[in-house]
Amino acid sequence: MRRVAYVSAGVLAVAATGIAVLAQSGSGSESGSDITFLGEPVTAADIAAGKDLYAQSCAACHGAGLEGQPDWKRRLPNGRMPAPPHDETGHTWHHSDRNLFEITKNGVEAVVAGYESDMPAFGAVLTDAEITAVLAYIKSTWPERQRAAQAEVTAQDEGGS
Amino acid sequence: MKMIEPNFRPTRRAVLTAALGIGVLAALPGVARAGTGGANGSLAFDGDALLSAGGTLSTSTDGGATWSERALPGRVLALATHRDRPGRVVAGLAEGGVGFSEDGGATWRVGTAGLPDGAVNAVAIGSRDPDLIYAAIPGDGLYKSEDAGESWTLAMDRPWLDEAERDPLALVSVDLDTGMGGIWIYAGTETGLTRVPDCFCRWQDVQPGNAMDALVAGDAPPPENPLPAGEPVLSLASSPSSPERLYAALPSGLWASRDGGVVWTQIVEESASAVAVHPEDETYVAAIVGDALKLSRDSGMTWTAAAAK
Repeated sequence: MRRVAYVSAGVLAVAATGIAVLAQSGSGSESGSDITFLGEPVTAADIAAGKDLYAQSCAACHGAGLEGQPDWKRRLPNGRMPAPPHDETGHTWHHSDRNLFEITKNGVEAVVAGYESDMPAFGAVLTDAEITAVLAYIKSTWPERQRAAQAEVTAQDEGGS
Repeated sequence: MKMIEPNFRPTRRAVLTAALGIGVLAALPGVARAGTGGANGSLAFDGDALLSAGGTLSTSTDGGATWSERALPGRVLALATHRDRPGRVVAGLAEGGVGFSEDGGATWRVGTAGLPDGAVNAVAIGSRDPDLIYAAIPGDGLYKSEDAGESWTLAMDRPWLDEAERDPLALVSVDLDTGMGGIWIYAGTETGLTRVPDCFCRWQDVQPGNAMDALVAGDAPPPENPLPAGEPVLSLASSPSSPERLYAALPSGLWASRDGGVVWTQIVEESASAVAVHPEDETYVAAIVGDALKLSRDSGMTWTAAAAK
Protein backbone atom coordinates (compact mmCIF):
# COMPACT_ATOMS: atom_id res chain seq x y z
CA MET A 1 0.00 0.00 0.00
CA ARG A 2 2.83 2.35 0.88
CA ARG A 3 4.46 1.75 -2.47
CA VAL A 4 1.22 2.50 -4.29
CA ALA A 5 0.79 5.69 -2.33
CA TYR A 6 4.33 6.75 -3.11
CA VAL A 7 3.94 6.34 -6.83
CA SER A 8 0.46 7.77 -6.98
CA ALA A 9 1.52 10.86 -5.11
CA GLY A 10 4.52 11.22 -7.36
CA VAL A 11 2.49 10.95 -10.54
CA LEU A 12 0.06 13.56 -9.37
CA ALA A 13 2.91 15.79 -8.38
CA VAL A 14 4.44 15.81 -11.81
CA ALA A 15 1.43 17.27 -13.54
CA ALA A 16 1.26 20.26 -11.28
CA THR A 17 4.70 21.01 -10.00
CA GLY A 18 6.76 19.68 -12.87
CA ILE A 19 5.17 22.25 -15.11
CA ALA A 20 5.98 24.89 -12.56
CA VAL A 21 9.65 23.89 -12.53
CA LEU A 22 9.89 24.12 -16.28
CA ALA A 23 8.03 27.39 -16.35
CA GLN A 24 10.29 28.91 -13.74
CA SER A 25 13.42 27.57 -15.39
CA GLY A 26 12.36 29.11 -18.62
CA SER A 27 11.25 32.39 -17.13
CA GLY A 28 14.72 33.74 -16.96
CA SER A 29 14.52 34.09 -13.21
CA GLU A 30 18.10 34.01 -12.01
CA SER A 31 17.51 34.87 -8.39
CA GLY A 32 20.66 33.61 -6.77
CA SER A 33 21.13 31.07 -4.01
CA ASP A 34 24.28 29.71 -2.50
CA ILE A 35 23.21 26.15 -3.29
CA THR A 36 24.80 24.06 -6.00
CA PHE A 37 23.86 20.59 -7.16
CA LEU A 38 26.16 18.35 -9.16
CA GLY A 39 28.40 21.35 -9.56
CA GLU A 40 25.75 23.57 -11.07
CA PRO A 41 24.28 26.63 -9.34
CA VAL A 42 20.66 26.39 -8.26
CA THR A 43 18.36 29.39 -8.38
CA ALA A 44 15.97 30.46 -5.65
CA ALA A 45 13.11 29.69 -8.04
CA ASP A 46 14.37 26.13 -8.46
CA ILE A 47 14.47 25.73 -4.70
CA ALA A 48 10.94 27.06 -4.36
CA ALA A 49 9.76 24.63 -7.01
CA GLY A 50 11.64 21.88 -5.25
CA LYS A 51 9.83 22.71 -2.04
CA ASP A 52 6.49 22.25 -3.77
CA LEU A 53 7.63 19.01 -5.36
CA TYR A 54 8.86 17.77 -2.02
CA ALA A 55 5.51 18.53 -0.40
CA GLN A 56 3.67 16.59 -3.06
CA SER A 57 6.03 13.69 -3.74
CA CYS A 58 8.09 13.16 -0.60
CA ALA A 59 6.46 14.67 2.48
CA ALA A 60 3.93 11.87 2.92
CA CYS A 61 6.72 9.61 4.09
CA HIS A 62 9.66 11.87 4.91
CA GLY A 63 7.51 14.43 6.73
CA ALA A 64 6.28 17.89 5.87
CA GLY A 65 9.08 19.33 7.95
CA LEU A 66 11.62 16.81 6.68
CA GLU A 67 11.41 15.09 10.05
CA GLY A 68 11.05 11.53 8.79
CA GLN A 69 8.69 8.87 10.01
CA PRO A 70 8.21 8.39 13.74
CA ASP A 71 10.73 6.08 15.38
CA TRP A 72 12.65 5.99 12.10
CA LYS A 73 15.64 4.18 13.58
CA ARG A 74 13.47 1.16 14.37
CA ARG A 75 12.78 -1.41 11.70
CA LEU A 76 9.27 -1.91 10.29
CA PRO A 77 7.56 -5.32 10.63
CA ASN A 78 8.50 -6.08 7.02
CA GLY A 79 12.18 -5.73 7.87
CA ARG A 80 12.62 -2.45 6.04
CA MET A 81 13.57 0.83 7.63
CA PRO A 82 11.10 3.73 7.91
CA ALA A 83 11.63 6.86 5.84
CA PRO A 84 14.44 8.81 7.53
CA PRO A 85 14.43 12.56 8.11
CA HIS A 86 16.00 14.79 5.50
CA ASP A 87 16.83 17.53 7.98
CA GLU A 88 20.09 17.76 9.86
CA THR A 89 19.03 15.03 12.31
CA GLY A 90 19.10 12.39 9.58
CA HIS A 91 21.86 11.02 7.40
CA THR A 92 20.94 12.52 4.04
CA TRP A 93 23.72 15.09 4.32
CA HIS A 94 26.28 12.29 4.52
CA HIS A 95 25.62 11.40 0.90
CA SER A 96 27.12 13.06 -2.16
CA ASP A 97 25.01 14.89 -4.74
CA ARG A 98 25.51 12.06 -7.21
CA ASN A 99 24.54 9.47 -4.62
CA LEU A 100 21.38 11.36 -3.63
CA PHE A 101 20.40 11.79 -7.25
CA GLU A 102 20.94 8.08 -8.01
CA ILE A 103 18.94 6.96 -4.96
CA THR A 104 16.05 9.26 -5.85
CA LYS A 105 15.99 8.45 -9.52
CA ASN A 106 16.85 4.75 -9.50
CA GLY A 107 16.20 3.60 -5.94
CA VAL A 108 18.47 2.67 -3.06
CA GLU A 109 19.42 -0.53 -4.84
CA ALA A 110 21.21 1.60 -7.41
CA VAL A 111 23.89 2.35 -4.84
CA VAL A 112 23.60 -0.68 -2.53
CA ALA A 113 23.00 -3.86 -4.49
CA GLY A 114 20.30 -6.07 -3.05
CA TYR A 115 19.08 -3.54 -0.51
CA GLU A 116 15.31 -3.58 -0.04
CA SER A 117 13.59 -0.29 0.61
CA ASP A 118 10.01 0.95 0.63
CA MET A 119 11.12 3.98 -1.35
CA PRO A 120 10.55 3.48 -5.06
CA ALA A 121 12.70 4.79 -7.86
CA PHE A 122 11.34 8.16 -8.94
CA GLY A 123 12.91 8.12 -12.38
CA ALA A 124 9.58 7.37 -14.02
CA VAL A 125 7.78 9.97 -11.97
CA LEU A 126 10.07 12.98 -11.79
CA THR A 127 12.33 14.44 -14.43
CA ASP A 128 16.01 14.93 -13.75
CA ALA A 129 15.38 18.64 -13.31
CA GLU A 130 12.64 17.99 -10.80
CA ILE A 131 14.77 15.57 -8.82
CA THR A 132 17.52 18.15 -8.77
CA ALA A 133 15.07 20.80 -7.57
CA VAL A 134 13.80 18.61 -4.73
CA LEU A 135 17.31 17.76 -3.58
CA ALA A 136 18.39 21.38 -3.84
CA TYR A 137 15.46 22.36 -1.64
CA ILE A 138 16.46 19.75 0.94
CA LYS A 139 20.04 21.02 0.87
CA SER A 140 18.84 24.58 1.37
CA THR A 141 17.29 23.65 4.72
CA TRP A 142 20.50 22.35 6.28
CA PRO A 143 22.54 24.38 8.73
CA GLU A 144 25.94 25.50 7.54
CA ARG A 145 27.84 22.70 9.25
CA GLN A 146 25.83 19.96 7.52
CA ARG A 147 25.92 21.81 4.21
CA ALA A 148 29.69 22.15 4.38
CA ALA A 149 30.11 18.50 5.33
CA GLN A 150 27.93 17.39 2.45
CA ALA A 151 29.85 19.63 0.07
CA GLU A 152 33.03 17.91 1.20
CA VAL A 153 31.50 14.46 0.62
CA THR A 154 30.37 15.56 -2.83
CA ALA A 155 33.82 16.92 -3.66
CA GLN A 156 35.43 13.64 -2.66
CA ASP A 157 32.95 11.51 -4.54
CA GLU A 158 34.94 10.08 -7.41
CA GLY A 159 32.38 7.84 -8.96
CA GLY A 160 31.32 5.57 -6.17
CA SER A 161 30.24 5.81 -2.60
CA MET B 1 32.04 4.72 40.60
CA LYS B 2 28.43 4.38 39.59
CA MET B 3 26.79 1.19 40.75
CA ILE B 4 24.56 -0.85 38.49
CA GLU B 5 20.94 -0.89 39.58
CA PRO B 6 19.88 -4.49 40.22
CA ASN B 7 16.14 -3.93 39.65
CA PHE B 8 15.89 -4.06 35.87
CA ARG B 9 12.77 -2.81 34.10
CA PRO B 10 12.80 -4.53 30.73
CA THR B 11 11.08 -2.83 27.82
CA ARG B 12 8.33 -4.63 25.97
CA ARG B 13 10.66 -4.98 23.02
CA ALA B 14 13.32 -6.53 25.20
CA VAL B 15 10.86 -8.94 26.78
CA LEU B 16 9.57 -10.08 23.41
CA THR B 17 13.04 -10.87 22.14
CA ALA B 18 14.73 -11.96 25.34
CA ALA B 19 13.94 -15.63 24.97
CA LEU B 20 15.38 -15.77 21.47
CA GLY B 21 18.39 -13.72 22.46
CA ILE B 22 19.18 -15.84 25.47
CA GLY B 23 18.85 -18.98 23.41
CA VAL B 24 21.23 -17.68 20.78
CA LEU B 25 23.76 -16.49 23.30
CA ALA B 26 23.71 -19.80 25.12
CA ALA B 27 24.31 -21.66 21.88
CA LEU B 28 27.44 -19.72 21.00
CA PRO B 29 30.64 -21.09 22.47
CA GLY B 30 32.49 -17.85 23.13
CA VAL B 31 29.58 -16.04 24.66
CA ALA B 32 28.48 -19.02 26.65
CA ARG B 33 31.91 -19.36 28.20
CA ALA B 34 31.94 -15.73 29.22
CA GLY B 35 28.41 -16.06 30.46
CA THR B 36 29.26 -18.90 32.79
CA GLY B 37 32.08 -17.00 34.41
CA GLY B 38 34.60 -19.59 33.35
CA ALA B 39 37.65 -18.90 31.20
CA ASN B 40 38.05 -15.28 30.18
CA GLY B 41 36.37 -14.74 26.83
CA SER B 42 37.17 -11.25 25.52
CA LEU B 43 40.52 -9.94 24.30
CA ALA B 44 42.03 -6.54 23.53
CA PHE B 45 45.42 -4.88 23.23
CA ASP B 46 46.02 -1.72 25.23
CA GLY B 47 49.28 -0.67 23.66
CA ASP B 48 51.60 -3.61 24.26
CA ALA B 49 49.48 -4.89 27.14
CA LEU B 50 47.21 -7.81 26.37
CA LEU B 51 43.88 -7.83 28.20
CA SER B 52 41.70 -10.86 28.69
CA ALA B 53 38.38 -10.37 30.42
CA GLY B 54 35.37 -12.34 31.52
CA GLY B 55 34.66 -12.77 35.21
CA THR B 56 37.96 -11.04 35.98
CA LEU B 57 40.45 -8.97 34.02
CA SER B 58 43.86 -10.47 33.34
CA THR B 59 46.61 -8.31 31.92
CA SER B 60 49.97 -9.25 30.52
CA THR B 61 52.71 -6.84 29.50
CA ASP B 62 55.17 -9.50 28.43
CA GLY B 63 53.41 -11.19 25.59
CA GLY B 64 51.39 -13.57 27.70
CA ALA B 65 54.29 -14.96 29.75
CA THR B 66 52.97 -13.63 33.06
CA TRP B 67 49.61 -12.23 34.10
CA SER B 68 48.17 -10.00 36.78
CA GLU B 69 44.56 -9.93 37.90
CA ARG B 70 42.36 -6.85 38.25
CA ALA B 71 38.80 -6.33 39.42
CA LEU B 72 35.98 -5.54 37.03
CA PRO B 73 32.74 -3.61 37.53
CA GLY B 74 30.82 -6.71 36.47
CA ARG B 75 31.06 -9.72 34.23
CA VAL B 76 32.46 -8.63 30.87
CA LEU B 77 31.12 -9.81 27.52
CA ALA B 78 33.21 -7.57 25.27
CA LEU B 79 36.26 -5.29 25.36
CA ALA B 80 37.47 -2.38 23.26
CA THR B 81 40.55 -0.15 23.37
CA HIS B 82 41.96 2.65 21.22
CA ARG B 83 45.42 3.21 19.83
CA ASP B 84 45.35 6.96 20.50
CA ARG B 85 44.05 6.72 24.05
CA PRO B 86 46.38 4.40 26.00
CA GLY B 87 44.81 3.16 29.19
CA ARG B 88 41.22 3.55 28.00
CA VAL B 89 39.38 0.27 28.23
CA VAL B 90 35.69 -0.07 27.40
CA ALA B 91 33.80 -3.13 28.59
CA GLY B 92 30.32 -4.37 27.75
CA LEU B 93 28.78 -5.75 30.92
CA ALA B 94 26.55 -8.81 31.22
CA GLU B 95 24.41 -7.11 33.86
CA GLY B 96 23.95 -4.01 31.69
CA GLY B 97 25.87 -0.80 31.15
CA VAL B 98 29.31 -0.10 29.77
CA GLY B 99 32.38 -0.01 31.97
CA PHE B 100 35.09 2.59 31.37
CA SER B 101 38.64 2.58 32.65
CA GLU B 102 41.24 5.24 31.89
CA ASP B 103 44.09 3.40 33.61
CA GLY B 104 44.25 0.07 31.87
CA GLY B 105 41.59 -1.54 34.01
CA ALA B 106 42.80 -0.56 37.48
CA THR B 107 39.70 1.53 38.22
CA TRP B 108 36.30 1.71 36.56
CA ARG B 109 33.18 3.79 36.14
CA VAL B 110 29.95 2.55 34.55
CA GLY B 111 27.97 4.56 32.02
CA THR B 112 24.27 3.80 31.65
CA ALA B 113 22.55 7.14 30.95
CA GLY B 114 20.34 6.59 27.93
CA LEU B 115 21.10 2.89 27.68
CA PRO B 116 18.19 0.49 28.13
CA ASP B 117 18.46 -2.38 30.55
CA GLY B 118 20.01 -5.55 29.30
CA ALA B 119 23.36 -7.10 28.61
CA VAL B 120 25.86 -5.23 26.45
CA ASN B 121 27.40 -7.99 24.44
CA ALA B 122 29.47 -6.00 21.93
CA VAL B 123 31.34 -2.69 22.14
CA ALA B 124 33.58 -0.66 19.85
CA ILE B 125 35.44 2.63 19.94
CA GLY B 126 35.36 4.92 16.91
CA SER B 127 38.66 4.50 15.11
CA ARG B 128 38.90 8.25 14.44
CA ASP B 129 37.43 9.42 17.75
CA PRO B 130 38.24 7.68 21.04
CA ASP B 131 35.27 9.38 22.73
CA LEU B 132 32.84 7.82 20.26
CA ILE B 133 31.64 4.53 21.72
CA TYR B 134 29.24 1.95 20.31
CA ALA B 135 27.35 -0.68 22.29
CA ALA B 136 25.05 -3.46 21.12
CA ILE B 137 22.19 -4.69 23.28
CA PRO B 138 20.62 -8.06 22.33
CA GLY B 139 17.00 -7.81 21.36
CA ASP B 140 17.25 -4.04 21.09
CA GLY B 141 19.78 -2.27 18.89
CA LEU B 142 23.00 -0.40 18.46
CA TYR B 143 23.62 2.58 20.73
CA LYS B 144 26.30 5.25 20.55
CA SER B 145 27.88 7.71 22.93
CA GLU B 146 29.75 10.74 21.67
CA ASP B 147 31.02 11.74 25.10
CA ALA B 148 32.91 8.67 26.26
CA GLY B 149 29.92 7.02 27.82
CA GLU B 150 28.38 9.91 29.73
CA SER B 151 25.22 9.69 27.62
CA TRP B 152 23.85 7.26 25.04
CA THR B 153 21.35 7.40 22.18
CA LEU B 154 19.95 4.79 19.84
CA ALA B 155 22.00 4.77 16.66
CA MET B 156 20.11 2.15 14.70
CA ASP B 157 18.07 -0.99 14.92
CA ARG B 158 19.74 -4.37 14.63
CA PRO B 159 20.91 -5.67 11.26
CA TRP B 160 18.51 -7.58 9.06
CA LEU B 161 19.94 -10.81 7.70
CA ASP B 162 18.18 -13.88 6.33
CA GLU B 163 14.75 -12.33 6.85
CA ALA B 164 15.17 -11.52 10.53
CA GLU B 165 16.81 -9.04 12.85
CA ARG B 166 20.11 -10.32 14.15
CA ASP B 167 21.97 -9.40 17.29
CA PRO B 168 25.49 -8.09 16.82
CA LEU B 169 27.81 -10.43 18.69
CA ALA B 170 30.89 -8.39 17.83
CA LEU B 171 31.52 -4.82 16.73
CA VAL B 172 34.55 -3.08 15.35
CA SER B 173 35.08 0.39 13.93
CA VAL B 174 37.10 -0.01 10.76
CA ASP B 175 39.03 3.01 9.56
CA LEU B 176 38.09 2.64 5.92
CA ASP B 177 36.26 5.45 4.13
CA THR B 178 32.62 4.87 3.27
CA GLY B 179 32.61 7.65 0.69
CA MET B 180 30.03 9.41 2.83
CA GLY B 181 32.40 11.37 5.00
CA GLY B 182 32.81 8.63 7.56
CA ILE B 183 34.03 5.12 8.17
CA TRP B 184 32.50 1.68 8.63
CA ILE B 185 31.27 -0.23 11.64
CA TYR B 186 31.43 -3.96 11.07
CA ALA B 187 29.21 -6.32 13.03
CA GLY B 188 29.46 -10.04 13.50
CA THR B 189 26.03 -11.60 14.00
CA GLU B 190 24.73 -15.08 14.66
CA THR B 191 24.33 -15.54 10.93
CA GLY B 192 27.31 -13.72 9.50
CA LEU B 193 29.05 -10.44 8.85
CA THR B 194 27.48 -7.11 8.00
CA ARG B 195 28.44 -3.46 8.22
CA VAL B 196 26.94 0.01 8.49
CA PRO B 197 28.39 3.44 7.68
CA ASP B 198 28.88 5.52 10.82
CA CYS B 199 26.17 7.89 9.55
CA PHE B 200 23.86 4.89 10.09
CA CYS B 201 22.01 5.04 6.79
CA ARG B 202 21.71 1.28 6.38
CA TRP B 203 23.18 -2.08 7.29
CA GLN B 204 24.60 -3.72 4.20
CA ASP B 205 26.68 -6.62 2.99
CA VAL B 206 30.41 -6.24 2.66
CA GLN B 207 31.07 -5.77 -1.03
CA PRO B 208 34.06 -4.75 -3.12
CA GLY B 209 34.28 -0.99 -3.45
CA ASN B 210 33.99 -1.18 -7.21
CA ALA B 211 31.18 -3.77 -7.32
CA MET B 212 28.53 -1.33 -8.48
CA ASP B 213 30.80 0.19 -11.10
CA ALA B 214 31.49 -3.28 -12.50
CA LEU B 215 27.77 -4.03 -12.54
CA VAL B 216 27.00 -0.86 -14.45
CA ALA B 217 29.85 -1.43 -16.87
CA GLY B 218 28.93 -5.06 -17.44
CA ASP B 219 32.37 -6.20 -16.30
CA ALA B 220 33.05 -9.37 -14.40
CA PRO B 221 32.38 -8.84 -10.72
CA PRO B 222 35.46 -8.50 -8.53
CA PRO B 223 36.52 -11.63 -6.62
CA GLU B 224 34.87 -12.36 -3.32
CA ASN B 225 35.28 -15.07 -0.71
CA PRO B 226 32.98 -14.30 2.18
CA LEU B 227 32.98 -15.90 5.59
CA PRO B 228 31.07 -19.21 5.78
CA ALA B 229 27.39 -18.54 5.21
CA GLY B 230 25.12 -18.71 8.21
CA GLU B 231 27.89 -19.13 10.75
CA PRO B 232 28.06 -16.88 13.82
CA VAL B 233 30.84 -14.33 13.90
CA LEU B 234 31.84 -14.25 17.55
CA SER B 235 34.63 -11.72 17.51
CA LEU B 236 36.12 -9.18 15.09
CA ALA B 237 39.36 -7.22 15.08
CA SER B 238 40.65 -4.50 12.79
CA SER B 239 44.22 -3.38 12.84
CA PRO B 240 44.58 0.40 13.27
CA SER B 241 47.96 0.17 11.59
CA SER B 242 46.45 -1.52 8.55
CA PRO B 243 42.67 -1.12 8.71
CA GLU B 244 41.91 -3.16 5.62
CA ARG B 245 43.26 -6.15 7.53
CA LEU B 246 40.54 -7.86 9.55
CA TYR B 247 40.40 -10.94 11.74
CA ALA B 248 37.26 -12.90 12.65
CA ALA B 249 36.67 -15.67 15.19
CA LEU B 250 34.08 -18.28 14.22
CA PRO B 251 33.19 -21.79 15.37
CA SER B 252 34.87 -23.02 12.18
CA GLY B 253 38.10 -21.29 13.07
CA LEU B 254 39.98 -18.05 12.74
CA TRP B 255 39.73 -16.12 9.50
CA ALA B 256 41.68 -13.17 8.09
CA SER B 257 41.05 -10.62 5.36
CA ARG B 258 43.47 -8.19 3.74
CA ASP B 259 40.88 -6.19 1.83
CA GLY B 260 38.33 -4.98 4.34
CA GLY B 261 36.35 -8.20 4.50
CA VAL B 262 35.69 -9.05 0.85
CA VAL B 263 38.07 -12.01 0.56
CA TRP B 264 38.62 -14.13 3.68
CA THR B 265 41.21 -16.85 4.29
CA GLN B 266 41.03 -19.41 7.07
CA ILE B 267 44.18 -19.22 9.19
CA VAL B 268 43.17 -21.56 12.04
CA GLU B 269 40.91 -24.59 11.61
CA GLU B 270 40.01 -25.01 15.27
CA SER B 271 37.04 -23.24 16.85
CA ALA B 272 37.87 -19.66 17.81
CA SER B 273 35.83 -17.43 20.10
CA ALA B 274 37.83 -14.21 20.50
CA VAL B 275 40.48 -12.31 18.58
CA ALA B 276 42.46 -9.08 19.02
CA VAL B 277 45.20 -7.40 17.01
CA HIS B 278 48.02 -5.18 18.21
CA PRO B 279 47.41 -1.46 17.52
CA GLU B 280 50.82 -0.89 15.91
CA ASP B 281 51.55 -4.29 14.40
CA GLU B 282 48.87 -5.86 12.24
CA THR B 283 50.73 -9.18 12.26
CA TYR B 284 50.58 -9.55 16.05
CA VAL B 285 47.36 -11.38 16.86
CA ALA B 286 45.90 -12.87 20.02
CA ALA B 287 43.05 -15.36 19.90
CA ILE B 288 41.16 -17.80 22.05
CA VAL B 289 41.35 -21.02 20.08
CA GLY B 290 39.57 -23.98 21.58
CA ASP B 291 40.06 -23.33 25.29
CA ALA B 292 43.53 -21.80 24.96
CA LEU B 293 44.79 -18.25 24.55
CA LYS B 294 47.27 -18.21 21.70
CA LEU B 295 49.51 -15.58 20.16
CA SER B 296 50.87 -15.14 16.66
CA ARG B 297 53.52 -12.68 15.49
CA ASP B 298 53.16 -13.53 11.82
CA SER B 299 49.52 -12.85 10.95
CA GLY B 300 48.41 -16.25 12.14
CA MET B 301 50.83 -18.51 10.26
CA THR B 302 52.33 -19.83 13.52
CA TRP B 303 51.01 -19.73 17.07
CA THR B 304 52.29 -20.09 20.61
CA ALA B 305 50.19 -20.71 23.69
CA ALA B 306 50.16 -18.02 26.36
CA ALA B 307 51.09 -19.00 29.89
CA ALA B 308 48.28 -20.13 32.17
CA LYS B 309 46.69 -17.28 34.07
